[in-house]
Amino acid sequence: MTTIPISWYLAVAAVLFTIGAVTVFVKRNALVMLLGIELMLNAANLTAVTFSSYFRELAGQILVFFVMVVAAAEAAVGLAIIVLLFRHRETLNVDEAQLLKL
Amino acid sequence: MESLGINYRAIGPELVLTVTGVLVMLLEAFSPGKKVRDGILAAAGIVLAGVAALALWEEGPVTAFSRMVIVDGFRVFFTLVILLGTLLTIFVSWGFLDEERIPPGEYFALLLFGAVGMTLLVAGNDLMILFLALETITIATYVLAGYRREDLRSTESALKYFLLGAFSSAFLLYGIALLYGATRTTNLAEMARVVSGPLGQAEIVLLMAGAAMLLIGFGFKVTTVPFHVWTPDVYEGAPTPVTAFLSTAPKAAGFAAFLRVFSLTFPPLGIESAADQLASHWVAAVTAMSILSMTFGNFIAIAQTNIKRMLAYSSIAHAGYVLIGVLARDWAAVAFYMLVYTIMNLGCFAIVALWARRGDERVLIAEYAGLGFRQPLLSFPLAIFLVSLAGFPGTAGFVAKFWLFKSAWGAGFPELVIIGVLMTVVSVYYYLYVVIVMFFREPKEEVPRVPLSRAFVAAMVVALVGVFYLGLLPTRVFAVLNTAQNLLAIGQR
Amino acid sequence: MLMKAPMMLFLQTDPIYGYLPIVVLLFLAALFPALVLGIGRLLRPMKPEAPKLSPYECGVDPILDARERFSVRYYIIAMLFLIFDVETVFLFPWAVIYDKLALFGLIEMAIFLGLLIVGYYYAWRKGALEWT
Repeated sequence: MTTIPISWYLAVAAVLFTIGAVTVFVKRNALVMLLGIELMLNAANLTAVTFSSYFRELAGQILVFFVMVVAAAEAAVGLAIIVLLFRHRETLNVDEAQLLKL
Repeated sequence: MESLGINYRAIGPELVLTVTGVLVMLLEAFSPGKKVRDGILAAAGIVLAGVAALALWEEGPVTAFSRMVIVDGFRVFFTLVILLGTLLTIFVSWGFLDEERIPPGEYFALLLFGAVGMTLLVAGNDLMILFLALETITIATYVLAGYRREDLRSTESALKYFLLGAFSSAFLLYGIALLYGATRTTNLAEMARVVSGPLGQAEIVLLMAGAAMLLIGFGFKVTTVPFHVWTPDVYEGAPTPVTAFLSTAPKAAGFAAFLRVFSLTFPPLGIESAADQLASHWVAAVTAMSILSMTFGNFIAIAQTNIKRMLAYSSIAHAGYVLIGVLARDWAAVAFYMLVYTIMNLGCFAIVALWARRGDERVLIAEYAGLGFRQPLLSFPLAIFLVSLAGFPGTAGFVAKFWLFKSAWGAGFPELVIIGVLMTVVSVYYYLYVVIVMFFREPKEEVPRVPLSRAFVAAMVVALVGVFYLGLLPTRVFAVLNTAQNLLAIGQR
Repeated sequence: MLMKAPMMLFLQTDPIYGYLPIVVLLFLAALFPALVLGIGRLLRPMKPEAPKLSPYECGVDPILDARERFSVRYYIIAMLFLIFDVETVFLFPWAVIYDKLALFGLIEMAIFLGLLIVGYYYAWRKGALEWT
């Protein structure tokens, strides 16, 4: 049975990371930008887990545990801010932020 | 069990801060709105954490918790700078909390949790801890930036800070994952050992990419050009006491982590090694970031009409100066600079916050006209802090810059020092402009005096004493820092 | 022991047999609801009416425009759920080496859960769980 080479996993992670980063740059909806950021975090997670299983060592997987929790906390705070902004402006388009340019 | 290296004293300051933060939060839930009680409790927690940090001073370089946390002079000094910054922020926020009718309990709790993250960032000897600590800081500060909920500016600044902060965290994390792939470890001491030898071709590529990602992540956090875009808007939109906090303590912590990772883990060794290959690149990149931050920050600051934006660009410029210290790999000079910067910047923002009044209405530089002789208790300290930021002799700002530039000159970065000195001269223009407006311009309409609270006066006294003590008699602090630096150098060998 | 040895041998011949317990579980999982629902159908009185026959949707009318605006309370509770749900991820690694960490691990985990309970209590006191 052939195993999938490690470089494939890393390539998938790199592609995911790029998609996430491009999403943040291109999209102007705060929620979609948050989705892009989550994609980037998960790309990093995939990289860490790949190395972790390749090295037969646990540090990478422990890192992923922490990242998952941190990402959840971050998303909760981010969504709270977005809800607050929506109550002010009735739109999530960051380009319509008039007082401070984004 | 011994192998885990559990040592609660090694995280004493963090434990004290966490317990105090949780306590303040619980008290707020029990009986909300007791500002004095919560504030005094928070301040007491910070002082106690300072004592716990000082108790670690004699410990010398040792590690704990599976080498995830390190105890050395570097950490203790930066911890004290952060605690001082947080304590002064509590004083600065005192009047603001009443004026804005903001629930005080959560505010203090968030400051404390942010401080936990910062002290942990300084103590971290493992990339995992660095990431966790950084996130603890940013999650607390996102909320603080949006604390004035009725104000659209504050909410927008929180959103912007959140999106760009999370974006940069993702870069940082990807960098950590790649470095882990390159060196098979996330521990910085272990990583330093691995990169001191040669590595394979693939590992070198991963190492370079990982370090570049890390550099981007840290670049965002310590507001250096070209990763500074969020800074002016967030600093302008956030409530002024929060801006004061954002521009000082988290930055000190960020620079500490920057030093720990780049200057101490990937130093140019001068021998055939992966670290040396990497160092030639990161030194070039950081040199570029430093030059850009200094020139860009100072020149754009001149054009600002809003004092909070002006101070934001000034903060970018100062980040550029500090990067020179990072390049010179002189952490003691950087630590001293951050101490001085924390004191003088918080002093500045304390007055800006007071003068801005409810809702941050009065923030234009033109609106400072006539402040000079009408309320000298505000104008003279502000002038002193601005002059210190510009680096006039006799103030702490001068001593800090002098040490930084001297050490960079010795380390072989004369061109950076020359640019730094030139840019300091440029900065005099916009700092003194505010002083001139205060003293020599007449206001359009008569403005009422602003009442001073006792907490504000306390913050002023501490900051003024700090500026003059460190400006005129810095030798004691120098001696302490040099001793710590020597101890650390021995410990590393 | 005598029973176990040939069984192990049998399982080792082909890794596919390692999935045998899953097949058994699948069968049991299908059997159990069929049994319970069947018994219920035989025993209960049958008085059908329109609301009872409609799909269960937590008391909300099941046929509505999907783009209706939700109360902001939904989001607050969703956020709280998100955080408390994910925090439990730390219980898994702890459970795996529970016997090695022994009392020390138990106390550490109690502290961790205590912190979570403080957060929960705070949210409760602040009225984040109230629907008004």
